[in-house]
Amino acid sequence: MAMSGRIAPSQANPAQPGASLRLRRLANHLGLFLVLLVLWETGSRLGWLDPLFYPRPSAILRSFWLVYFENANIWWHLYVSLGLVLAGFTAGSILGVGLGAVVGLNPLVRRYLQPYVIVLEATPRIAVAPLLIAALGFGAQSKIAIIMLVCFFAPFINTLSGVMNVPAEKLELFRSLRATKWQTLRKLVLPDAVPVIMAGERLALTAALSGVLVAEFIQRDQGIGSLILVYTRNLNMASAFACIFTLTIIGFGIFKGMELLDRWIAFWKHQDGRERVSAARARAHAEEA
Amino acid sequence: MAEHDLPQRSTPRSYWALSVLPHLVLFGALMALWEGLSIINVIDSIMVPRPSEIVSAIWRLYVTERIIYPHFVVTFTEAVTGFAIGATIAVVLAVASSLSDVFQRYVSPYAIVLNVTPGIALTPIIIAWFGYGMGSKIALAAVICFFPIYVNALTGLLQTDEDREDLFRSLGGTKVQVFFKLRVPSSLPMVFAGMKIGLTTALIGAVVAEFAQATEGVGVLMGRFSFQLQMAASIATLLSMTAIGLLLFYAMEFLDNRIVFWGRENRMARVSRARAKAWQRIMHK
Repeated sequence: MAMSGRIAPSQANPAQPGASLRLRRLANHLGLFLVLLVLWETGSRLGWLDPLFYPRPSAILRSFWLVYFENANIWWHLYVSLGLVLAGFTAGSILGVGLGAVVGLNPLVRRYLQPYVIVLEATPRIAVAPLLIAALGFGAQSKIAIIMLVCFFAPFINTLSGVMNVPAEKLELFRSLRATKWQTLRKLVLPDAVPVIMAGERLALTAALSGVLVAEFIQRDQGIGSLILVYTRNLNMASAFACIFTLTIIGFGIFKGMELLDRWIAFWKHQDGRERVSAARARAHAEEA
Repeated sequence: MAEHDLPQRSTPRSYWALSVLPHLVLFGALMALWEGLSIINVIDSIMVPRPSEIVSAIWRLYVTERIIYPHFVVTFTEAVTGFAIGATIAVVLAVASSLSDVFQRYVSPYAIVLNVTPGIALTPIIIAWFGYGMGSKIALAAVICFFPIYVNALTGLLQTDEDREDLFRSLGGTKVQVFFKLRVPSSLPMVFAGMKIGLTTALIGAVVAEFAQATEGVGVLMGRFSFQLQMAASIATLLSMTAIGLLLFYAMEFLDNRIVFWGRENRMARVSRARAKAWQRIMHK
């Protein structure tokens, strides 16, 4: 089936274009981006776009300089927000993975918990923010609680489904080799679930960033969210955009960081990871022998 | 003729009673425990209101004072309109990206930037741009529901089975036919999965924008109640958001069931029964 000429291109691997082609594409992208920026700038200077609401690229660049170096006021807010994100994410995701594993391995608990999970899933969880702030008071606890809540769900659901969706044949193999429950869990169920869990963690970390912003929008004392709010209130849109692009960079860092972590932990999913680990294991084995 | 092979519908009522009843009993027990702990002051009933207070707050909001309905309608409209706009743009861009490699190459960096930026960060700016009314809530909902739908639609459109495409080609299917009869149907489950996520995010967008700055909407109501420490009313409002979420989710699920009937066994069986019947009628004429 499908012998006609499909084999050749798939071996040539069209997904990996040559270095020169990649460079040219990158140049094209940058060119397009620059053209857009220039259009924006001139449009703004000619008065088509109100610079009060739609800041010019040059103004945004200047604001970057201002908030990072001249006034250097963003650092403190970044420090506060990222600290909260880290605390809330760690607590929420540990809770999520732990509970997910317990619930996934226990059919009875699962059956009784399911309706609540469905209801929770349909609730916009960030909407609980004002309630939590009212209950826990102003301060870091309520913000961390919001982030925890926002971070809890994705790891929980993903762990649950990861633990439950272990292929039946593999389970049978383990049973037929008389693996204990603990062995099955440690050697089969958890490794099998790791990629899905990691996907959940990635979602959770992104959600944590949104969570801290919402918490700071409501409780406007410090942090990057309140900084954005203050700048926008003062119609200092360029600085607000500088903050938002900072968040873009952080978001991108989170994305890439989680990808790296995934490659490192779930190494068997990726060709290079597999090769690296099996080479290391072969070496260790040879040394032992 | 093939009617016997098709699975028949079977949902005995006793099964329902057996599976629903324990849930209700457990729920009742939990609520009773909560109420009891609150009465003997183990739980602070100002911060964590009693279930009975929440129920009476729901009663007040919906039946006696009836103040929630206009807010409910506002939030619902914002979420659905925002979703419609975001989803339309997302699907159009996804179709264009799936048809043209070049287009995809130039769009994807911007889509990725939009994705890694927490869309919620744009709230104040969008409010400055679109004003304090419903416009800004719709815009935020559209912005943050865009990405999951775009990604899912694109993945769905690009993941066609090569064997099937070969079959289409060998039967002389045109490009248009391959697109509409193969790529679009096989992408639909993914598209719907994206839309379900998108609807929930659109609701979040609407509510968060209402928290930030608005005069009406469920988010406003909830913020007001929490800051007056009327926790029971606040939780009742939160539960209405859950209701909106469930309503939207099940509406999408219903559409998904109807349109992607081949993904669900019982729907598949029903449609093929109907088709078999229609076919027999034609044959017997």
